Amino acid sequence: MIRAFALAAVVTAAPIGAAAHQLIVFASVDCETVLVEAKFSNGNPVQLADVRVLDGDNVLQTTLDIGEDGTVEIPLDSVDHSGGLVIEVDTGNHDNYWIVTPEDIARNCGS
Amino acid sequence: MARFHKTILAGCLMLMPLGAAAQERPVVVTVNYPLKFLAEQLLGDAAEVVFPVPEDVDPSFWRPSISDISMIQSADLILLNGAGFATWVDRVSLPRARIVNTSAAIEGSFIATQSITHSHGDGGEHSHEGTASYLWLDPTLAAAQAEAIAGAVATRGLAPADDVEARLESLRAELMELDAEARDALAPAQGIAMIATHPRYQYLARAYGLSVASLEWDAGAMPGDEDLADLEALIEDTGARILIWESEPPAAAIDATNALGVESTIFNPLSGATAGASFFEAFSGAVSDLADAASRVPGN
Repeated sequence: MIRAFALAAVVTAAPIGAAAHQLIVFASVDCETVLVEAKFSNGNPVQLADVRVLDGDNVLQTTLDIGEDGTVEIPLDSVDHSGGLVIEVDTGNHDNYWIVTPEDIARNCGS
Repeated sequence: MARFHKTILAGCLMLMPLGAAAQERPVVVTVNYPLKFLAEQLLGDAAEVVFPVPEDVDPSFWRPSISDISMIQSADLILLNGAGFATWVDRVSLPRARIVNTSAAIEGSFIATQSITHSHGDGGEHSHEGTASYLWLDPTLAAAQAEAIAGAVATRGLAPADDVEARLESLRAELMELDAEARDALAPAQGIAMIATHPRYQYLARAYGLSVASLEWDAGAMPGDEDLADLEALIEDTGARILIWESEPPAAAIDATNALGVESTIFNPLSGATAGASFFEAFSGAVSDLADAASRVPGN
């Protein structure tokens, strides 16, 4: 009944994807590392999450644990970044991603 | 033989400038089909307008590949819808100077939404506020987006400003005509409660005085028993007589929902593929189908 009531609300529901994007993921890159930051939309850092790093062919390169401050560093020499990287953060309840292109890496290396 | 070679050479020389011109055309990327349509109307052949989302993918939830993003990063202009549409734009680095939010000037017209209550982390049960994003289903808002595109195109010199202004005037007139047609066609539907299988029609409803509640069904999928129970409860709560599908469902789905006492109609929300129809044709056809469904409701 509660569910039906929620559905009947005049203010209609946001797509399912809205729940997923309440986890905010950001990655910045320099010549040596990709710094991944993850937080919830209320500002709290994510403290428990898998960070999956995929290459340009969508092949999993490595999986890391996120730090207590909601960040993790990925050394560029530990992954094949020639075709760019996709960083996926998965807390179990929420997930989100950030895409790093080869051009992002080149641009931030000053080339 | 020599004459043949000369003819070929002459042909190549004639084609070269065209090829070079084609390569030099600026590239404009859009996040949905309506923006592609509007941009093409305004730019003519002056630029290549790219909507990179595959036809079978909902652009609201598209997840681009790295190569897609590389292409988009190199575009001359990137047209965003705003209002929270296409969340991928918040998951990549885009060149700020080449991004235009086409709804920045009409944020005061946005409709707020609320997600279904859920919980995560230590926050307890809660819901998230959002924004309805299918702005173009109100053609007057689409006209405002067209004005934003025209301004961006002219400012960046992607097409002659006079040409763009003339095309904008024509486009604005056509959108206003579309709005007037929809207003007339849907006037008889104003007293009929409706349910949409997905929350897409907030701006359409507001523009034409319709009452549309929403479910969260997957587009084109057969609803399960729980879905049908939700629909039945919502029909009971709202008195709805029309069910709006965003894409063609299985025939069995129509049978199952008609059995609950609602008239089914399909209204493509136009964010993606339109099966070859233009924005005007697809919108006009969907409005006409909705008006027909309203006319089939007993007592209307």
